[in-house]
This record gives sequence, structure tokens and C-alpha cells, in this order.
Amino acid sequence: MITTRRSLIAATTALPFLHRPARAQARPGYLRYGLSAFPPNLLPWDSTGASAGTVKMLIHRSLVAWERTGQLQGELATSWAIDESGAWVFKLRPNALFHNGEKVTSEDVRWTIEQVAGEKSTAYMRAQFQNVVRVETPDATTVRIVTKEKIATVPAWFANYNMFVCWHKSDPKAPIGCGPYRLVRQERGTSVEVAASPNYYKPGLPKLKSILFTAYPDENLRNAALRSGDLDMIEYVPWQSMASVEADPRLALAETQGAAFMDVLFNGTRPPFNDPRVRRAVAHAVQRKDIVQAAFFGRGRTLEGVPIAEGSPYYDDALAHGWNYDPTRSKALLAEAGMASGFSCKMLSTAQFGMHKDTAEIVQQYLAAIGIQAELSLPDWSTRVSLGTRGQYDLAIHGVSADSNDPDGLAVVMDTSLSPSHGRSFGVQAPRTIAALARGRAEFDEARRIEVYKDMQRAALEEVPMVGLAWRSQGFGMDKRVAGFTNLPGALSTSSGGMLEYTSFA
Amino acid sequence: MDFVLRRVATAAVLVCIVASIVFLAIHLVPGDPAEILLSAGGAAPDAATVAELRDRLGLNLPLQTQYANFLIGVVHGDLGTSLVDDYPVLDEITLRLPRTLELIAAGTLLAIAVALPAGTWAGLHRDGGFDRIASGVAAFVLAIPVFVVGTLLVLLLAQTLHLMPAGGYVAFAKAPGQHLLLLALPAVVIAKGLAAVLFRMTRSAVLDVSQRDYVRTARAKGLRPFNVLLWHVLRNALSPVLTVLGLHMGALLGGTVLVEYVFNWPGLSTPLLRAVESRDYPMVVGIVLVVSTLFLMINLITDLLRAALDPRIRAA
Repeated sequence: MITTRRSLIAATTALPFLHRPARAQARPGYLRYGLSAFPPNLLPWDSTGASAGTVKMLIHRSLVAWERTGQLQGELATSWAIDESGAWVFKLRPNALFHNGEKVTSEDVRWTIEQVAGEKSTAYMRAQFQNVVRVETPDATTVRIVTKEKIATVPAWFANYNMFVCWHKSDPKAPIGCGPYRLVRQERGTSVEVAASPNYYKPGLPKLKSILFTAYPDENLRNAALRSGDLDMIEYVPWQSMASVEADPRLALAETQGAAFMDVLFNGTRPPFNDPRVRRAVAHAVQRKDIVQAAFFGRGRTLEGVPIAEGSPYYDDALAHGWNYDPTRSKALLAEAGMASGFSCKMLSTAQFGMHKDTAEIVQQYLAAIGIQAELSLPDWSTRVSLGTRGQYDLAIHGVSADSNDPDGLAVVMDTSLSPSHGRSFGVQAPRTIAALARGRAEFDEARRIEVYKDMQRAALEEVPMVGLAWRSQGFGMDKRVAGFTNLPGALSTSSGGMLEYTSFA
Repeated sequence: MDFVLRRVATAAVLVCIVASIVFLAIHLVPGDPAEILLSAGGAAPDAATVAELRDRLGLNLPLQTQYANFLIGVVHGDLGTSLVDDYPVLDEITLRLPRTLELIAAGTLLAIAVALPAGTWAGLHRDGGFDRIASGVAAFVLAIPVFVVGTLLVLLLAQTLHLMPAGGYVAFAKAPGQHLLLLALPAVVIAKGLAAVLFRMTRSAVLDVSQRDYVRTARAKGLRPFNVLLWHVLRNALSPVLTVLGLHMGALLGGTVLVEYVFNWPGLSTPLLRAVESRDYPMVVGIVLVVSTLFLMINLITDLLRAALDPRIRAA
């Protein structure tokens, strides 16, 4: 056979087409995971988003973590309890090693808390850990944490994916962790690769040899990459694509209801929303099912009360519908507040996220129906954050996930006495709600906690520090061969990355 | 030589002006980088934590001090580090720019390979069947936005037929075949608009030049038609085509944003977009500075090439 220049060019051109490229990358024990955003950084204590959290949960471990049913399970700690003086005592497992081979000791826990709570700290959990008076380390496997007052939720603080225990001699800019995987390489903005740590303390785990995280910010491309076989697994399956993922015989969808919710925030420092009656009028004005359909393609549920999910021991059916759709009542409340003829105001949201924009537009229409003319402002997310924190709005549409499924996880949204934030109402007075949240935090008896949080819900329905609109579900899409992964329930869905240590290919 | 020096000096002044405008503009846009960084995923950061991060990032310094630091850095070839992760801006650009240039080069080559022969043929056979069809296709292709074409290609070739990967990037050295496959779709999308413009430009230029007296003279002298086309028609017709090509290649430096996003091609546009979103000032200013310098360089080269092709430009 004579090789001509033409045949050589033709053969070279055809070379890439000789196999199905979509399947070419798959390797045994090697998971290709599509992130919705590239982690801005992997610092263990700074909050840089759920995608960063997914990677961080594999590189690092904390004293406890959320297990499949949403309960706390021991990680570096084998047990924990509150002693007679109100301090929390954690017993550490003796066999845990950092990636550099050093043993995990109580000294590492103490150093970690000091870094998080320090004056120069930028840690997400800084405010919580500044309640810690001192950390005692009676021996290498015992940590005693003394707080200003008794706090029931201290163990849950350690389950947050911005609270990992690191080696006490680490460079604080690059702390060394003890998670099931270690960082192998990363290309800024593109991909992160982790490989199984030989030092991990759980026998037989992690199950995969390595995981390649690739950022696919475009949700449609992320979905297309899963469906074409470029990826084995993705997070944040777009709501409009969930049905097609479910229908694909090659794929599976792990969906959690109530992972996050949409809400209305208020500027309570000036009229008209400094009046709780006006805020309640807004709460009763919106037909939520339209939001569920339009913004989430039916992948959600209406939320007519404080965001406590059905099935939670703190859920109360009557209270959960305390802000039901009732435009007549809305108008009556406006009349009672002296605004029967309605008013105009500015509503802040963002066009950067479709669900925020769609929700805002629906709310705008329903408010118009009761006489509130809301002028919509839809800047980019960064401007939205800035305007929100400075209270430069009358009411705002927001979407958020609680810190945990415990009602105390709602403090980040409902405790308006905390520092101003784009994710909380600005200057709204809700003293009874805030007091109830504080009582719940200090209450250890489960039955009494339930009553406290029902009180909190009653207070919130009247004081209206925010208005719940709709729960939204969150889904992970994956190849059916991917086994062992669980999408954690409710607000813990964003902590599901920790489940990747159990994940493998069937 | 004066011509070249004049052009270079103008380009240098323009780069300085662009850098200053971008620096000031991005600082005037609402949004606090520290707050945005700590608010990722909708988190509500503590105000004291935000204040501490602002201080650490040097955002509390007076704007004029930040500007002076920036200028000193630029003079020393240092574009600073990202506010997000302290990563050197220059390293990011060094990594990403070649990929964007590769995408532009591939798209441009594809566009030239299609548009020049097609435009020449259409110009030489005005109102023929090919001319009508190709002109219609060019108008159609120009009218469809790149993200529509990109999304449709992904839907058809990746998601439905499973013939191509949906997007992404693999280094050429690591997997040449996969690299070319991943390059193919974005290059086609980049090429489609440019090819349509080049086709129209080439067609009209060839049409115009082929009716000039010197072409008729060349034919009358008995030169072979191919030589007439090559040395008399195309050489003179290429000058306006080259100008358009230069302008469009410069525009593609910014225009690849959508294509890189749709195909997840990790070029320079993605970090620029992300940096604007996160108000990562050093990254935004650094990338814009480099892109505008390249834009001016491409135009400078175009001017020089045109001057080489047409001595009248040198004299002007």
C-alpha cells in the first residue's frame, strides 16, 4: 500500500473519531465529578460555597459529621457529652492520622478552634466559636470545650463543612487535613484531583482510588456532560433536567426535598416594612405553587411558614401554614396598617440566578394584586450582595439553605440581631423570635426544645423576620454504576460531598 | 521606520489609558470582594469576618495608593495576585491565554479555509448558483447567535448522538486526539461568524478588483487565469479582507467569552468573567490589560501587513 500525502491527512483527521470519546476517559476506581463552581479556595475554615465544601469534606475531617439519615456520627471523635459543669467533652479516636503521617491529637483540636475563633480569623464559624472560653486538653485524646453559657448545638458546629480539624503545626494558609482523600493537583478555575489517602482511619475507605472534579458552571453543559458520558456524576442537576435524568436508563437521580428555600427579606429600618402587619400582608399575598412550578419546574414544595421541614420533630402542621395564601387578609392587614390604598417600593433580587429572578417576578405580580407596586431591581449577584448587606432595598428575594436541619440552623436567616447580611432582613425587629432561638440553643431536653421552637415559630409568624416562599429540591445526577452515595436529607444536602468516601462503581 | 514607531507609540499610550480606565471602573462598580468571597453559596458572613478579610486584602487602603501600587507593579512586570486565592495574575494569564489564542487561531484558520476560496469563487461567478446559495448561508449563519449554535451542537453531537464530548479541555501533550476533539466544536462556533464576514468581504473585493483595468490588461497579455487571479486579483483584493480579519480577530479576544463558557474551554475569558463577578480587581485589570495589549498588537500587525501589501499606505 502506498501512503500518499492525501491519505495521511485523511487518516490524521479521522484519528480522533476512531473511538467514542465520551467513554474514553472512564477508568476503574476513578470518578469524574462535575462541580457547579470551581472552589475559590480550599481553606478549611472559610466559607467559599458548597462546591468548595464538597472537595474540602474529602480532604479534611472534623470531630463529627452527618450520616445518611441526617444524624451526627463520630469522625475524629468517638464520643461526646456535656459534663456536669456544662462543658462539652470529646473523646478522640487514637488511630487517626493527618496526611503527613502525624497523629490527630487534642492539641490539633485546640489549635483549630483558636485559629477559627481568633481576632484575625475569617472563618465562617468564627462567631459561634467566639463563645468558647477555653479549650482544655487533659490528654492526647480528650478535648474539653468550655463555652460562655451552656450550648446544646456545639457538636453540630463541628459538622459544618467549614469546620475541619487540621494539624497544629500547619501553615494556616495551607492547613494539613486528615480526610479520606488528599489533594493531588488542581488547575485554577478548571479542575481539582484528589487521590485516596493511605493514612485514612476507616478500614476499607475510601472506596475510590481518585476523584477528578471538573467545574462546569453552565448547568446545561454539566447536564449534557453527564448524559453524554463525559462525567460520572454531577451536582445541582438543573430542575428542568431532572425528569430527563430520571428517564435515562443509564442514569440515576438522587434528589432531596427541602434542601434550600426561597424567602422574602425586608428592610425594617423604615416604612412601610418596619410594620409587622405590612410584612404579614406580604406573607399572605403570594400564591406559592406558582413559584414551585415556574422557578423549579415542580421540583419543590410550597412554604407557608418558618422553614422547618415536614417530618422534623419541630414541624407543626398548623404553624407550617401560618402564612397561607389569603389576599383578602393581606388587604385587611394593609388597611389596618393605614395603607389600604397600597404603596410603591423597591424589590431587590438578582438576574444572575434564574430561580431568584423568576421568584421575584411572581412575587411582584401577587403584590401588585393587593396594591403593592414593587419596582424590581435585578443586578448581578455581587451587587445584590452589596446592596442587601447595606439595606439598600425595601424588600428582597433570596434563596438559601439553613446551616443544618436543626431549627438553630435557621438563626443565620431569622436572627436579625446578627450583623447585617444580604441573607437576612435588614434591621427588622423580631425580639421574641430571637429570644426563642437563643432559648432553643441553650435547651438540652428534646421535648422542651420542641416546645421552644414551636414558640419560635408562633413568634416568627407574627414578627415576620422573613417570609418563606418555596422549598426547592436538590439533585445529584449519576451513572447507574455509581453506588454508595446518598444525598443527605433537607438542609444537609450541601454536606453530601462527605458521602463520596463510601462511593464506588458497582 | 517612522511609520512603525508611530504605530507602536500610539499603541503603548492606548494600553496605559485602557489600564487606568479599567482599574478605576472596576473599583467604582458596587460590590465588596471580601463580602462576595465569603458569601459564596448564599452564606451570610459575619460583618467582623468581612472587615478582617478586607483589611487582609488591602482593600481598606486609599484608592490612589492601590492605583499607585498597581502602576508600580505593572512597571516591574507584576500584575499582582488574585483577591480570591492569592494566585499570581500573571501565572493565570500565562496558563490561560495560549488556550484562548489556540481557539481563536483554530477558528480563524477554519474561517479562512472556508471563506477565502468560497468568497473568491462567488466573486468570480457572480449571481451563479454557488454565489446565491453561499450568500444565503452566510447571512443565515451570521444571524444565529454563537450560544445558540454552541448549545445546539452540544445537544446534537454530544447529548443525542454521543459522537463528541460535551465540552472541557485536555492538554494536547496528554491526549492529542481528545484535545483536537474538544477543540473542534468551539472552533467551529468561533469560525462561523468570522467565515461569513470574510466570505462577504472576499466576494465583494474579488468582484471589484476583477473588473479593474489592470486585470483586463493582464488577461489580454495572455497570462494564465490562475496567475491573474493570484497575483493581480487576490493580492489587491486581500487588503480590505486583511483589515476586517485583523479587527475581527481582536474582537474575538473578548468574543470568546460565550464560546468558552458554553464549551467549558478554560481559556482567558472564563477567569475574566469569574473575576468580574467576584470583583477580583487585580485579575480583572490584569486580564483586560493583556487582552487590550494583544488587541492593539493585532491591529498593529494588520497595519504593518497592509502597508507591506500596499505601499500607498506607508506613504500616507
